[in-house]
Amino acid sequence: MNYDIRLEVRSDPRHLGLIRTLIHDWVDGFGLPHELVHDVVLAIDEACSNVIRHAYEGRGDGPLEIRLQALPEHLEFEVRDQGVPCPQECHERRSLEAPDADELQPGGLGVQLMHQVFDQVVFCPGEKRGNCVTMRLLRKR
Amino acid sequence: MALKIDRNRSDLVEVITVEGEVDLYTSPDLRSAVLKAVRKAKERVEVNLAGVAYMDSSGVATLVEGFKKANESSKTFTLVAPSDSVMKVLQLAKLDGVFEIDRAP
Repeated sequence: MNYDIRLEVRSDPRHLGLIRTLIHDWVDGFGLPHELVHDVVLAIDEACSNVIRHAYEGRGDGPLEIRLQALPEHLEFEVRDQGVPCPQECHERRSLEAPDADELQPGGLGVQLMHQVFDQVVFCPGEKRGNCVTMRLLRKR
Repeated sequence: MALKIDRNRSDLVEVITVEGEVDLYTSPDLRSAVLKAVRKAKERVEVNLAGVAYMDSSGVATLVEGFKKANESSKTFTLVAPSDSVMKVLQLAKLDGVFEIDRAP
């Protein structure tokens, strides 16, 4: 078993609160600063929201799986789905320069928040179906 | 946690007070309240976020949309007393300098 905790829920946005509680309680046990715990919860919430919005296109009946594993050097979080593979350009890190009010775009922020919070973010879209994103957080800050 | 949204209005100002958690599940409710307030306001929209325990990027996107719509119709759009959680996500998104923010109501 390459995980300590595995949770599978349907891709219903109602379950996001439960996922946040699980992530908060698990991460909080590793003595990380309170603010970082908040940011990790946010970033995993964003990963799950993206699965619901993009991979399942808003459908609430797809499997959404979360795997958590504490390794000696880092905490590892995996979010997996069986939905539509997301194209590579959706995953790219962009610079988050403070925009002018005119340039503001609602949306597209979730992936950037994931990159901001984690030390490593690896996206593995399937060839025909599914996505997996692995996020790693160094334990020594 | 559910989301509670109250709306108060005076002659020129629409005030929305938001309490609870804003995420992909609840942000559609916030979006309709914000867009309605922007439509109805004569001069100003104030969104009080003191009671927001959590906000994700869909909440931020909602605020961005309200802010842009208000600007288009020459109305001001102010975030009032945003909670730590709201400030944190705005800072991560580098948007804390874009909004008009009234820290102490």
